[in-house]
Amino acid sequence: MDVYIQTLLSGLAVGGVYALIALGFSITFTTTKTLNFAQGEFIAFGAFIGVTMLLLLSGLASTTTAVPSEAASAWRYPAAVFVAGAVAGLMGILIFLLAVRPFAGKGGMNWVMSTLGFGVMLQSIGLAVWGPAPVMVPSPLGDDVLRIAGAGVRPQELLVLACAILIMVALDLVMRRSRIGKAMMAVAHSPQTASLMGINVSLVMIGAFALSSGLAGVAGVLIAPIASASLFMGMGFALKAFSAAIIGGLNNPRGCIYGGFILGVLESAVGLWQAQWREIVVFGLIILVLAFRPAGLFGQAAVDKV
Amino acid sequence: MRHLIGSVVFAAVIAAVALFIDNEFYLRTLFMICVYFLCAAGMNVLLGFAGQKSLGQAGLFAAGAYAVAMLTTRFEVGPWLSLLLACGVSAVFGILIAMPSLRVKGPSLAMVTLAFGIVIEKVVTEGSEVFGGAMGIYAIQPLNIGGVPFTMLQWVWFGLGLCLAAHLLLRNLLQGRFGRAFLSLQADEVAAGAVGVAVYRYKVLAFVIAAVTCGLAGALVAQQNQYINSDFINFHLSIFILLLVLFGGSGSLYGPLLGSVTLVIIGALVARWTWIEHFVNGALLLFALYAMPKGLAGVFGSLFRRFGLGHSPGRGAEPGRAASKLPSRSVPQTVAGSLLTADSLNKAFGGVVPAKDVSVNLTVGHIHALIGPNGAGKSTFINMLTGIIRPDRGKVTFLGHDITQQTVHGICGHGVARTFQNLRLFKDLSVRENVLLGQHSRMQNGFVSSLLGLPKALREEAKALQKVNNILQFTGLLQYADAPAGSLAYGLQRRVELARALASEPLLLLLDEPAAGLNPQETAELGQLLVRIRNEGMTILLIEHHMDLVMTISDHVIVLDYGQKIAEGTPSKVQADPRVMEAYLGTSVEAA
Repeated sequence: MDVYIQTLLSGLAVGGVYALIALGFSITFTTTKTLNFAQGEFIAFGAFIGVTMLLLLSGLASTTTAVPSEAASAWRYPAAVFVAGAVAGLMGILIFLLAVRPFAGKGGMNWVMSTLGFGVMLQSIGLAVWGPAPVMVPSPLGDDVLRIAGAGVRPQELLVLACAILIMVALDLVMRRSRIGKAMMAVAHSPQTASLMGINVSLVMIGAFALSSGLAGVAGVLIAPIASASLFMGMGFALKAFSAAIIGGLNNPRGCIYGGFILGVLESAVGLWQAQWREIVVFGLIILVLAFRPAGLFGQAAVDKV
Repeated sequence: MRHLIGSVVFAAVIAAVALFIDNEFYLRTLFMICVYFLCAAGMNVLLGFAGQKSLGQAGLFAAGAYAVAMLTTRFEVGPWLSLLLACGVSAVFGILIAMPSLRVKGPSLAMVTLAFGIVIEKVVTEGSEVFGGAMGIYAIQPLNIGGVPFTMLQWVWFGLGLCLAAHLLLRNLLQGRFGRAFLSLQADEVAAGAVGVAVYRYKVLAFVIAAVTCGLAGALVAQQNQYINSDFINFHLSIFILLLVLFGGSGSLYGPLLGSVTLVIIGALVARWTWIEHFVNGALLLFALYAMPKGLAGVFGSLFRRFGLGHSPGRGAEPGRAASKLPSRSVPQTVAGSLLTADSLNKAFGGVVPAKDVSVNLTVGHIHALIGPNGAGKSTFINMLTGIIRPDRGKVTFLGHDITQQTVHGICGHGVARTFQNLRLFKDLSVRENVLLGQHSRMQNGFVSSLLGLPKALREEAKALQKVNNILQFTGLLQYADAPAGSLAYGLQRRVELARALASEPLLLLLDEPAAGLNPQETAELGQLLVRIRNEGMTILLIEHHMDLVMTISDHVIVLDYGQKIAEGTPSKVQADPRVMEAYLGTSVEAA
């Protein structure tokens, strides 16, 4: 029994991270009809910027393969999360201006390849700065396993889950209640009409990319204590988060969140049974969903009017 | 023929130069250029022609490499046969990666192919019992002649030979019916289906071509190294293959050559620092997309044109003799009068019901008009007849065949052609190529004869060109034949779409608002053109809001309102019908 609770909780924690990244995909897709194919690099960069911040704030050397646990204590971890999110957000603006805006809205989907190219460049810069070795990151809550109903749970998993839910609830409120949120939804429905209504469409699009990339950066720092920071970690997370977005429906932000949690728990459950089958099962599921419900479980099919 | 000789001479010169290189590194570089040329040549078909973004080509490279490795080491198959079988294995993987493209499009499909590449990478890395993981598979049998393994020079020669063959074969394929069909997929899949291109089949074919060349390249690398491990198969390889095509010139027949030569040389120069190599590739990818969307081939092409070295691609028969006869197929004699019957078609989109028990009978040789207020379900009706929308209930019979459940291209093949309300031309293709695509379903040459450039393919192409010239003359478009369709004035674009539909030699022509956006004179000309088409023996069903046009040329008018047929008959009878007046004017006759 306790094994199942443990699996469920760690699945929800990883699922929360998937949900954050998936939400990022959904935000750019609805507002600009583009996706950031370099999202994985933003996650990895987020993690390493977080690591660098922790080390800087605690006055330690900037290169190491394991961050000592006292470096993550108290206010330093939240500060690192914040800085990673902010820097990733700025990088998001950069990728939008350099690699997305020149190609968005034109035929041929060249932005797929330009964002990929941008990601390749980012990764090589990251390798030059931080090197290829993975870095162990401590949890701010310590690494002692908590006992909940007999199940062993890592405190970081609870922290990740709480943070993810907090961020998503806040975003959901902003999207539904505020002027900015309404402007974003208007742009999502029709950029032309939105601009006729006096909404600064390109500002909203820049904001969407900053937000999406910022979420990826935050996700990177949150997951780093669980998965350890590596410059090669991003691709897997980004692909699974995209899968989550597909399951939920790319144009449905709430669906993406559900998709993230579903995927996280599923992956965790498969890992209980056969760890090395995880990826295969996850991608198999995506292909099934795409085959039977191309618009996702919670999404609406796009109608191509002839 | 000149091209054939030129290519052979070019390859022979390189082969001869290789004879005088005794530096192993230079020979290897030359060999790798050949390997990547093969990848790029196939990828160019997929990306440059069919417009499918595949980001998982490394997976197909792996399929070929590991196939040859396992076949020669585990199953002791000979190296030559293994190489051949590896191509087959890659083809199977190509079909596998193409399967999602049936349901998903755009960015999602790109992401799925990316995932495919990653999964293969994971499989060969993790599956160390079967694939050796990072340890790899040793002692792969190299190609040999009479038991003596290839020398480096022989590898280069063999590679050159394969590249030459790939280039010539793909050129044959891409310059005719198949190349046009691939381009049509890139431009507009709905329109491609409507002109008779089997959309899904051609997509799979493009994926398979790219898979076979990539797999062949992988197999060559494995056999030449006599070793393969999971380090070869990574995401950067997929990116590099993409870059080869984009940098060289996507959609150009010489792009793969330019791309592979320059990028392999650049790669060799910076190979000492892995991260710089990747950085350079990423930067070049952005640069190519940004600064030279047509790649090096595009840059060289415009340079040649500037200095007057190029020749204009004028082709086709010279205009002179007025051939105003349309190519057409004869109506089967078994049909007595009735060409198409729609039997109580029903369709609902949620609460909107654009078709409620609509039954229509179209008579051979008549111009039928379908009229009705906006939202009456006219376009939906045509979409149901052409297979773009499936009716919920009801049956469509064309010449005695039930075509209700047939594919869009299948229905086109039976002899039903259409135009679209909102133009769906292949904008970047020339007017002539647009109309040639209309001929697609009428051309008999299959894959093999097109690939090998057999006389049959050449004959069919010449025949199609001749017919297209007649159609262009008939529709008065001959002078625009070589202009990109998207560059023409709106009224002319409408006429190009009509010509494209005529090119499938239809028995039934469905026109969705052909006069929309035309000025009065153009509308009158269109009316005359339609009558001429009818006089050639074609049956026409047109949706139209220009009532004077409808009433002058139609033999039979059908009126739809809220998805129901409310009247039909001769123009004068329909005009006098009180229900029609009510539908159009919103009041009943009594009240008015």
